[in-house]
Amino acid sequence: MSTFRRTRRTIANVSFTVFCYLTTLVALTALALIFWTLFSKGAGGLNANIFLKVTPAAGSVGGLANAIVGSIVLCFLGMVFAIAVGVMAGTWLAEYGRNSLYAQLVRFVNDILLSAPSVLVGLVIAGWLVAPFHGFSAFAGGVALGLIAVPIITRTTEDVLNLQPTALRESGVALGTPKWTAIRLIMWKAAGSGILTGGLLAFARISGETAPLLFTSLGNTNFSLGFNKPWFGLNQPLASLPSAIFSFAATPADDLVRLAWTAALLLAVAVLAANIGARFLTRERRPS
Amino acid sequence: MNAMTAETYEQFAVELPGDQIKMHVKNLEFFYGKHKALHGVTLPILNKGVTALIGPSGCGKSTLLRVMNRIYGLYPGQKAVGEVLLDGENILDHKVDVATLRSRVGMVFQKPTPFPMSIYDNVAFGVRLYEGLSKSEMDVRVEESLRKAALWDEVKDKLKQSGLGLSGGQQQRLCVARGIAVRPEVLLLDEPASALDPLSTAKLEETIVELKKEYTIVIVTHNLQQATRVSDNTGFMFLGRLIEFGPTVDLFTAPRAKRTADYIGGRFG
Repeated sequence: MSTFRRTRRTIANVSFTVFCYLTTLVALTALALIFWTLFSKGAGGLNANIFLKVTPAAGSVGGLANAIVGSIVLCFLGMVFAIAVGVMAGTWLAEYGRNSLYAQLVRFVNDILLSAPSVLVGLVIAGWLVAPFHGFSAFAGGVALGLIAVPIITRTTEDVLNLQPTALRESGVALGTPKWTAIRLIMWKAAGSGILTGGLLAFARISGETAPLLFTSLGNTNFSLGFNKPWFGLNQPLASLPSAIFSFAATPADDLVRLAWTAALLLAVAVLAANIGARFLTRERRPS
Repeated sequence: MNAMTAETYEQFAVELPGDQIKMHVKNLEFFYGKHKALHGVTLPILNKGVTALIGPSGCGKSTLLRVMNRIYGLYPGQKAVGEVLLDGENILDHKVDVATLRSRVGMVFQKPTPFPMSIYDNVAFGVRLYEGLSKSEMDVRVEESLRKAALWDEVKDKLKQSGLGLSGGQQQRLCVARGIAVRPEVLLLDEPASALDPLSTAKLEETIVELKKEYTIVIVTHNLQQATRVSDNTGFMFLGRLIEFGPTVDLFTAPRAKRTADYIGGRFG
């Protein structure tokens, strides 16, 4: 090899590596800046009241307790719905439907849902579950969030099941196990951490969704849930962190804006924790 | 190899006495969609003996094996025509319950496939589906299966650990233990040693020789020495046909078909 060519290759190699480092740095800086902004503006507002008091009117002391509980309840409702539908749909696609025409159709529709704007999902659910019942409700919010999470979970479930070796699938069946039993006891177990990761990523995605909640669960300045209420209060509008951020950040009142920042910080930390959790699960339990 | 027709193949098969036959493949044809992979294969499987299937890649050995427990049925588009008699009953019949059939005809695959659970649960898995054994009965069954698969001494102190943590050779013997724990009548081995090192292979072969006292074994192998070491009868397959079948000693020392002689002499394949 000529010296010229060798030098040229070295330069190309080094400059490409440097370019990669630079782009990574840009991406990481953006992330760091977001967290820095959230911490600097939101951490100051963190105190016991945040977790104990409900969202206030401007000028009075309050917290985010109802919004935090509301977000948890909404995400829980959404995830229950999404895991039930998504895991079954993904399993069907990977284990039964495969390349049949219907499976291809389902996969295509799922991909569309995956990229559907969340505001549309909110509108549709508003049409189905808000308008007919003449009122915003936590149920509608949960279903809207669930509908956003379903395609994510369907996709990851199908993908991780497809990653499992064919021989594993066959050896379960070869023992005389009915296919459905083999799927439940072997395939889901083998793909478990992957499916869980998909669930956590879906949770991370929906926990910050605002648009679909505006038409469905709306928001609430009080605690609307209670064990002694009809439907546990789930038929009432429900407060949530994203809707609190949305309504407070737009106000001229400094204390409410500060509360919005704190809510944003809490949300970001929750999403970060979910992502780290997902990472941890895939790293620890990867099959050899 | 153009313009080959069935007529150009010389085929030789030794007949076995009917009472020694556990499984009898008769005039079996197999299709992957439109592609015909087996052309009228007839093969007797010796009861409580080892039958080896040899032949170059793509000759249909594994396909034939996968018909014997109807595992091919998992894939729409794959179709078997003909007869496979297990104790006289045609297992290709639609009325045959495949799950029960597969509990009678076990299978071990080329790559070790331990389930993502403990060594104990791996072995107990199939048993739990068919028999309601007590804890102590199950313990006995697990130990017995692991002993037969020559794995007990290596794992007896770590039965609760994941089967995924074993070495490749141990994993494969675990799969054998899992297969025999359900007490099948026939055990199908699809190149069980191809992913193993020589030492593990030797152990697995000892296991096979030990197992044939109680089980009927069919083994697909690319390793001709392995076929001579473990099997009683050998079938040589080529392009979806059974070219020659007979006692292993005869087939390897005095092959009657020219293709068999060429293959075991290393002249092709």
